[in-house]
Amino acid sequence: MSAGLVSPLVAEPAASCPPPYLTLDQARAAADQLLSPSGQGAPVDDALLLKIERFLRMEARLLDEEKFRAWYNLLAEDLFYWAPVRESRYRRDKRPEITYAGMTFFDDRKADIDTRLKRLETGMAWSEDPPTRHVYAITNVEAFETGVSGEYEVHSIFTQYRHRADYDASTLMGRRRDILRADGSSFLIAKRLILLQQSVLMAKNISVFF
Amino acid sequence: MTLDASSYIDLDKGWVDRRIFWEREIYDRELEQIFARCWLFVAHESQVEKPGDFAITSMGEDGVIVARGQDKKVRVFLNACPHRGNKVCFADSGTTRAFVCNYHGWAFGLDGALRGMPEQKLYEATPGFDMKDWGLKQARVETYKGLVFATFDDAAPTLGDYLGDFRWYLDAVLDVEEGGTEFLPGATRWVMNCNWKVAADNFAGDIYHALWTHLGGAKPTLDAYGGVKIDHENSYQVSVNGHGWEFGNNMIGNAATMGDRELLRYMKSRAETIAARLGDFRKNMWGSVSSATIFPNFSFLPGYFTFRTFQPKGPRQIEIMAWTLVPKNMPEDIKDRFRRGAMRTFSPAGILETDDGENWENCTATNAGVVTRKQKLYYGLNPKGGDVEDGLPGDITRGQVSDVNQRAFYRRWAELMDGRTWAEIPMAPSQMPVLEAAE
Repeated sequence: MSAGLVSPLVAEPAASCPPPYLTLDQARAAADQLLSPSGQGAPVDDALLLKIERFLRMEARLLDEEKFRAWYNLLAEDLFYWAPVRESRYRRDKRPEITYAGMTFFDDRKADIDTRLKRLETGMAWSEDPPTRHVYAITNVEAFETGVSGEYEVHSIFTQYRHRADYDASTLMGRRRDILRADGSSFLIAKRLILLQQSVLMAKNISVFF
Repeated sequence: MTLDASSYIDLDKGWVDRRIFWEREIYDRELEQIFARCWLFVAHESQVEKPGDFAITSMGEDGVIVARGQDKKVRVFLNACPHRGNKVCFADSGTTRAFVCNYHGWAFGLDGALRGMPEQKLYEATPGFDMKDWGLKQARVETYKGLVFATFDDAAPTLGDYLGDFRWYLDAVLDVEEGGTEFLPGATRWVMNCNWKVAADNFAGDIYHALWTHLGGAKPTLDAYGGVKIDHENSYQVSVNGHGWEFGNNMIGNAATMGDRELLRYMKSRAETIAARLGDFRKNMWGSVSSATIFPNFSFLPGYFTFRTFQPKGPRQIEIMAWTLVPKNMPEDIKDRFRRGAMRTFSPAGILETDDGENWENCTATNAGVVTRKQKLYYGLNPKGGDVEDGLPGDITRGQVSDVNQRAFYRRWAELMDGRTWAEIPMAPSQMPVLEAAE
């Protein structure tokens, strides 16, 4: 396959009708899929892996450049976008560390991302003016078949450095588990689990996407 | 160190000296005079539901364990081994039979008592050593409708007297439904480089900032309701013993910022039941534009969602521990919508919280300048608000845009910082009968 990605930079802003809301059961099922034992499917072939890597690199560049609406258009209508809070637990603790019902940094559907972007678009999000400069590195990309045709389980690591005024800098690192869905010659992000390593977030906010 | 706190504030003139947000000496005195003496929120009972359950938190900079014993009693004790000082609990929460220090293996029960250690015979053969003398230091513990508070001061008044008539307002959060309340699982924790009072005084009485700070975050969710608006006639500030609560009385607002019409529908559907329980006035406090602080550092947005402590970590840093509180009997789907609403608004990535952190850090950091920190801050806003209906307890004024609660917060701060005994600190007598707990 050739990697003829449609450039999202020229894509239209989101449609005005709100995307569907996931029911509680659908959200739980999405969480379960992202938390279930991973890397079980067959690895995708090298050509597809390359295409997925190119997609993730492009996505990171859109976020670096604050092309948020272009990034938004990479999100599936039934998006489940989830960054649960971690907790330090004893190894003997048998409770699952992460459950759908717990605290999160993000537990968003596509409509929630739209709300977040609308905040930025008001021009009155003071904590982003002057803007944060950020840079993402996406590494350790692995991709597997899921059993659903055209959907791939994709693992990656992100490093996200940001700096604003004076000494206001922060680095966050973590793992992502995505379900990417083939969409023409590109992909849509259908589900994303963001696993930060910090149980106490060492920053005043998360004014960024992952 | 002696400190004449009145030289740092003049509430008649309406100013607060900026040095109280910066200087180490003042901060150290706060730990002694405020955090080691006041009743501090440590947990919701639902966090330690069953015998053996524990959760950790801080009282000032003292790390503590909150644990439910086999006798079902909730106790609070220092998370520090009396042998060499190491922690005895290393997890944020869990279930256990004992807390065992990693250093030499001293083991403590759920009641904090020393139960045993390796080579125990050597200790037993040591003249003068008695196991009973070396348990984990206990705090006094009392609860109010699910909220667990603790203090290390034996001379402190009872929790009931400390909260006073603030309890009458707290019922508008804690007693709206049969069955009481619970925290949803887990705590969100994050650090912010600001003085703890910057955050605590904001929640005690600063709705004013919402009209500017939160414009960006509020617009996408509140425009449908006419934008961020304050009803100066139908809103109040009330304070009791340094605790402050500013609120509209129209049952919309905070709830609407969560951007979920299902939640508003649900709250409206409960209005009659809540009114029957608490009366019309308090019914209208649930989910209105409002915020509150229980002195010194336990703050919440009334009616639902974020409850948090602003834990002091030095004069220029706090750790926020935040939970989501909901009525226990609420339908599961609605609980989930509240949880998601809280995450989307008031959490580190929330569309409202992100702008607060930015302000609070800069309000603190500017004090690095010696000229800057000798300046005063104006806390004098005091518009004439008109009479308040009879029968509302506490120091209550009409109009929620005012500095009156924040001045009351700093009055209590000064009384404690002066080193007065509890007997010398005025406590407002409780006027209102307290409803029996819902459970």
